[in-house]
Amino acid sequence: MNEMGIALELLGVGMVTVFIILALVVILGDLIIRFVNKFMPEPEKVSAAKSTVSVPEINSKKIAAIVSAVSKVTNGGGRVVNIEKL
Amino acid sequence: MGILENLYKMTAIQDFINNPGYLLMLAIGSFLLYLGIRKQYEPLLLVPIAFGVILANLPGGGMGVVSADLINLEGGHTKNLLEIAQDHGIMNFLYYSLIKTGFLPPIIFMGIGALTDFGPMLRNLRLAFFGAAAQLGIFIVLIAAIALGFTAKEAASLGIIGGADGPTAIYTTIKLAPHLLGPIAIAAYSYMALVPVIIPLVVRLTCSKKELLIHMKDMDKQYPSKLKIKNLRAVKIAFPIVLGIIISIFVPSAVPLLGMLLFGNLIKEIGVNVARLSEAATGSILNTATIFLGLSVGATMTAEVFLDFKTIMIVVGGFLAFAVSIFGGIMGVKVTNLFTKKKINPLCGATGLSAVPMASRVANDIALKYDSSNHILQYCMSSNISGVIGSAVAAGVLISFLQ
Repeated sequence: MNEMGIALELLGVGMVTVFIILALVVILGDLIIRFVNKFMPEPEKVSAAKSTVSVPEINSKKIAAIVSAVSKVTNGGGRVVNIEKL
Repeated sequence: MGILENLYKMTAIQDFINNPGYLLMLAIGSFLLYLGIRKQYEPLLLVPIAFGVILANLPGGGMGVVSADLINLEGGHTKNLLEIAQDHGIMNFLYYSLIKTGFLPPIIFMGIGALTDFGPMLRNLRLAFFGAAAQLGIFIVLIAAIALGFTAKEAASLGIIGGADGPTAIYTTIKLAPHLLGPIAIAAYSYMALVPVIIPLVVRLTCSKKELLIHMKDMDKQYPSKLKIKNLRAVKIAFPIVLGIIISIFVPSAVPLLGMLLFGNLIKEIGVNVARLSEAATGSILNTATIFLGLSVGATMTAEVFLDFKTIMIVVGGFLAFAVSIFGGIMGVKVTNLFTKKKINPLCGATGLSAVPMASRVANDIALKYDSSNHILQYCMSSNISGVIGSAVAAGVLISFLQ
């Protein structure tokens, strides 16, 4: 009977704790997003379409692939400002 | 004649005759290998576990994990690792150094963290709550197991199967009921492999067609989120750091698992500067840890330990824990839908248990069966990832209460 009491207590404490922690996850996530949006917004990326205007001789799919590769390698930190054929 | 007698004594034939349980365990090990190889049920873990079972039940091989009673010495001391290796062989050396110390599950969590993308959860934060509702099975089965005669520690280890997270189940069992480690690990990984069967079963019993047709993207268009993320990379880097610190304040006993999960995730999100670390965490370290974990856990399943009524109870209880957890997540969504205009597809609740990303893929497939344009994978991943956090927190609560 004593162990059953512990089990019921664990049901209450456990579920409440899990809900509180995941509520904290939601609140913290929300706060971090607001903080980052306010103080560290990402500069606008150069779109593939925009780049096509300056280098019309390069296929737009290739430009998109280059922009995507730069973004992946630099984790979104790099920008493609010019593409030249060698 | 004497030579033949010596030859016979050298073999294990008489051991098999004296204890047919060994043969049964070899059959079980072979069946698990079949499930892993042929049916592809979590093969990365089931194959090492199954082969560990076979190794442990080859009489005279000395590969079975021995009871802690043989390791403990008088005065509360234990044998050192060199003595364990000398007296009981290399498998016991591996088990008592890597498993019994609780070393490998957090290491595996580090690798899982480095493979996890918190992006879907950060984009759909409100769905993270269902990772909490889906922990219900852990505590319901804990109560049922105690009613059936398990001790509180054993019942907690059984209940944690409902978290659908192998390393968490193993870590909790090591801490609370190490003698049940083998069957609990097998049940946890087997049911994780059976997620494509269990989720549709529970969904069929609890959800209406109307609910399953709730179109998540249409809901997003009707009720768009006010908060757009303007720098996802920065958010993803800050998130594991802040979350790790906050969780350590509230549930310190969950830190070994969650701390390593969040560290693994951080090195993934930092990117190229620490790419070697994240490659190591997801590659060589994770793979090595998985091999040793699987073999050692399998080696705990000797005939004397495994062929017990409690094993059958664990298999049944594990299924119930899984099913009730899925039910809890679905009910969480249904209750939320009563109070909100922006309805949620209950499948996003069914994925609140861990089992990432299989649970989300299964839920997505079910949604697509009802409406071929209703792609809910990203939404399900939110509750699915939060389920990993939820189950680790639940494990932390159980350990801190019962240890």
